[in-house]
Amino acid sequence: MENQTFPATLDSLDDLRDLVRDKALRANLDKKKTYKLMLALDEIATNIILYGYEQAGKEGVLDVITELTGDHLKIVVEDDAEPFDPLQKDLPGETDFSKPLEERPIGGMGIFLTVNGVDSFQYEYVNNRNRNIFIMNIQGTDA
Amino acid sequence: MNVTSKTVQDITVIEAEGSIDSKTAGDFERGAMGPIQGQNAVILDISKVDFLSSAGLRVLLMIYRQIKSRNGKVVLLGASEEIQDIMANTGFLAFFILVDTLDEGIAALKS
Repeated sequence: MENQTFPATLDSLDDLRDLVRDKALRANLDKKKTYKLMLALDEIATNIILYGYEQAGKEGVLDVITELTGDHLKIVVEDDAEPFDPLQKDLPGETDFSKPLEERPIGGMGIFLTVNGVDSFQYEYVNNRNRNIFIMNIQGTDA
Repeated sequence: MNVTSKTVQDITVIEAEGSIDSKTAGDFERGAMGPIQGQNAVILDISKVDFLSSAGLRVLLMIYRQIKSRNGKVVLLGASEEIQDIMANTGFLAFFILVDTLDEGIAALKS
């Protein structure tokens, strides 16, 4: 397990993507899975930074814990903002996505891409911290 | 990220480069919305965009709405496979004309 701390500002998004890219490379994830994992982290981190911290007038950090095992890469993002479970938010669905773009609601797209992009997404609130958990299964060496 | 614009055969071409996330989406928006004012044909060259989050999709939506309000067309040039995937998953893809070269884009808009 490795732990890295980032200031909870939008400037950290670049560094966060670099971290995920690096871990994904080590986990031998293919290009598409790497991109989806980077996107998922980016979307959730953005929500935490903008709504959990900035909108609440708080400063803080994101702790990113990575764990690579034989069959999966797990990345956990922890923060001290108010409890927020992304999975409790109403997500856009097929009916929204089939609407013309002129009438499209725009909210919730980031969480939708997160939940649909990773193999498993979980949320916990433990020790007064939000924990967003991203898991990518590792495919065989033929990938 | 960087955004530049030029005119090729009376068509506005917006070139974006870099990562479009919630930090940089505002730059993308400012760089694109100005040049497309009053236009009904635009080519968005995103061949040098390596990352696009939902904040970037939001700007694509704004551009599309602006052009669509004049019954125009938006061409996306050089969207990576990964970006095409997320656009497909969110039902965005069908609204844009996808091309691989500038010539194809111009041909699609002139037709």
